[in-house]
Amino acid sequence: MSNAIEVKNLRKEFKVYSSRKGLKGAFRDLFTRNEKIIPAVNDINFMVKQGEMVGYIGENGAGKSTTIKMLTGILTPTSGHIVVNGMNPHKDREKFVQTIGVVFGQRSQLWWDIAVQESFRLLKKVYKVSDEQYDNHMNHVIKTLDIEPLLDKPVRKLSLGQRMRCELAAALIHNPPLLFLDEPTIGLDVLVKLKIREFLKEINEKYQTTILLTTHDLSDIEALCERVIMLDEGKVIYDGALHHLKETWGEGKEVHFQFLETVDLQSVKAATAGLPVKWEHDEKEQVFIAYIEDQDELISQLIAQIVAAYKIKDLNIHETSTEEIIRNIYEKGEVRLG
Amino acid sequence: MFYVTMLFQYMSQYMKTRLQYRTDILVEFFSDLLSQSVNLIFILVVFGHTDLLGGWTRDEIIFIYGFFLVPYAVFSAFFNIWDFNDRYIVKGELDRILTRPIHSLFQIILERLELEGLLGAITGIAVMIYAGSRMGLTLSWYDPFLFIIFVIGGALVYGGIFIILACISFWADARTSIMPMMYNISNYGRYPINIYNKIIRFVLTWILPFAFVGVYPASYFLGRHELLFYSLITPLIGVVFFTLSILLWNQGVKRYRGAGN
Amino acid sequence: MDKYLEMIRIRFLMMLAYRTNYYTGILIYSINIGAYYFLWSAIYGGKEQIQGLSIAQMTTYVAISWMARAFYFNNLDREMAVEIMDGRVAVELIRPYNYLVMKMMQALGEGIFRLFLFSVPGLVIVYFIFPIHLTWDIAVWGLFAISILLSFFINTQINLLTGITTFFLFNNSGLIRAKRVIIDLFSGLILPISFFPVWAQNVMNYLPFQGISYIPSMIFTKGFTAQHAVYAIGQQFIWILILIVPIQLLWNLAKKQMVIQGG
Repeated sequence: MSNAIEVKNLRKEFKVYSSRKGLKGAFRDLFTRNEKIIPAVNDINFMVKQGEMVGYIGENGAGKSTTIKMLTGILTPTSGHIVVNGMNPHKDREKFVQTIGVVFGQRSQLWWDIAVQESFRLLKKVYKVSDEQYDNHMNHVIKTLDIEPLLDKPVRKLSLGQRMRCELAAALIHNPPLLFLDEPTIGLDVLVKLKIREFLKEINEKYQTTILLTTHDLSDIEALCERVIMLDEGKVIYDGALHHLKETWGEGKEVHFQFLETVDLQSVKAATAGLPVKWEHDEKEQVFIAYIEDQDELISQLIAQIVAAYKIKDLNIHETSTEEIIRNIYEKGEVRLG
Repeated sequence: MFYVTMLFQYMSQYMKTRLQYRTDILVEFFSDLLSQSVNLIFILVVFGHTDLLGGWTRDEIIFIYGFFLVPYAVFSAFFNIWDFNDRYIVKGELDRILTRPIHSLFQIILERLELEGLLGAITGIAVMIYAGSRMGLTLSWYDPFLFIIFVIGGALVYGGIFIILACISFWADARTSIMPMMYNISNYGRYPINIYNKIIRFVLTWILPFAFVGVYPASYFLGRHELLFYSLITPLIGVVFFTLSILLWNQGVKRYRGAGN
Repeated sequence: MDKYLEMIRIRFLMMLAYRTNYYTGILIYSINIGAYYFLWSAIYGGKEQIQGLSIAQMTTYVAISWMARAFYFNNLDREMAVEIMDGRVAVELIRPYNYLVMKMMQALGEGIFRLFLFSVPGLVIVYFIFPIHLTWDIAVWGLFAISILLSFFINTQINLLTGITTFFLFNNSGLIRAKRVIIDLFSGLILPISFFPVWAQNVMNYLPFQGISYIPSMIFTKGFTAQHAVYAIGQQFIWILILIVPIQLLWNLAKKQMVIQGG
């Protein structure tokens, strides 16, 4: 199999109406409205190979959901070219969606009032899955996600974590080669998150399922995805390996200090004046963080100066976290990497 | 064939959920009965002050009303899309619909079945029998079949119009209140068409052809052969309007812009 | 008081956002009035008068009833049912205002809006299409204005009452629908109360519904004498007072129930 997803010059524009201020403005709106065209997705290009797990990240309003909706055939693109599983999603919609699974973290795919297994049964018919296929595949899914005991409960009585696992199972009833996950772990606790990640890895290995994942939680991406596509204001600003992103942008280190005495940011800065270091104070954790270039000489100098000035309770040296890297990228704008 | 199996799948699912709330069905049935009897009361009260309405007798008018209730019942059981805009566009439920391999409109129809609406057909038939027996109407062997064809035609007219109205949501982003008000207009198909002026007659026949839900097909059974042509094209009009509405829907879905963000 | 006025204003602005409703609304009400006009013309046939109303008065009656309906009509009961069922009402109750008054103010904002953007232009349009007789008698307009304001309150009170029942019934959509049908029939919107058989009229005299549509419409069409009009307005006013009692009772019960069940 070659490419699961091919996207060329994809663009989606929305018309936005802005309302005028005040009562007078509102009356004017009655007859004509201010109209503005906003490109939510602005000429993006990328490809995803069969069997890849790709993280699709970006801030709110960056165009993540809009892209996913175009890739799943929900929205029609304004212009551009999409081929997913060898098809044009919005053209042969009914045939196309047979080959994908979709989970929207904030929207239920299951029927609210009926038991989970009834929903599964109905979906099984909807996707024309034979009993044999269903048994082979779903028994395993149900076991791995540990939802056996939930099957006879109505969806409205499930907790969020329970529901999410059922949603995931529901999206896989027809064992699609491509799975879209839009914020699948939003609001879930750590244990459920871990379970879901493990499961996703497993089906990826077992069936070569391609997975495109959007999430706010970068730990999901770190745990699952080799590759990330990063979006900002409707444009792809980075597309490549996660570790590459780290190597290039995570050039610094973080040194975390906790002090025995009360110290303020001002005096810490004064103590290390002359060193190329940036300080931050995390008030919740009572930690002072120093960002510094990754040079052994510099780091030891920094530590020496701090230790000389204050009594230290704890000290840690970290790689810059992915979140920090991404924040940096967004602050500095477009990335130009090879 | 697949679509027929799906219909039955959803129907059985529907029964399961509905039977959990039996009292609701009862309450709804009675409120339906009430709104149907209001219309009867109107007819009865009005005929306390006149003998003929545009040349039609009381029993004829009641018969037309009874007929009207049957396709209306079929419509309300299967085309429960009053709140399409709120439920599917504003809340974005259409996203979910569009990720499934069944025609989107058909899925919505399946999800929103309200089979108890069919009880109205019983009321309608009872009203027809009452009025028909007072007038001494007789039936030919083929009349029941024509009745079924006319009912389907009328229901398709109704469904077609309301689907077209639902499609407005794809183009206009403001909430529209046309749907509940259209219900008022639809009621005028149950009065003899000749009491209206030319323009309205034209509208009720060709633009919003509600006359094909009530007065036209019903007048066939009343032996009013001056309207025979219209009676007989009822199924045709139904098919045409329904097809139009589906074409429009398919265009509309392409314009759908999704909720949120 | 300020906060209630603010609510009227906010609602007004919200309604402006849904402007397509009004274009279509006027159109559809006009079609509605038209259809009734033809129905009544057929009913009158060649008759000069039925129950003391001429065909011209009847047409005016139909037109004004519908246009007044655009003002007093609201979906408060349905809105309340939604708020109660999804639990938002609990949040409303901890806010520093009276929930019911606030709801009524919202409805008033909506009503005033529709009066200016729906009823008035609608009436003008309808005036040019159908043979309607608008009076130039200031006194009639004055009495009519008072009367439709009162009919707004009666209708809204009945809506509040229906809305509150959501606390006690699992699903009251059937009741809401039934209420609407009853109001359309017994308020005189569909046909004037005087057309009903005498025994039915006697029963309706003891019900609040004719205060919603029949009284203002009869005042407007001069179906009532001035004296009768003042008397009828008095009747409306008394009904508003009477209706406060069951609302308050049910509301107190509802609040108690909510405390027990935790919303």
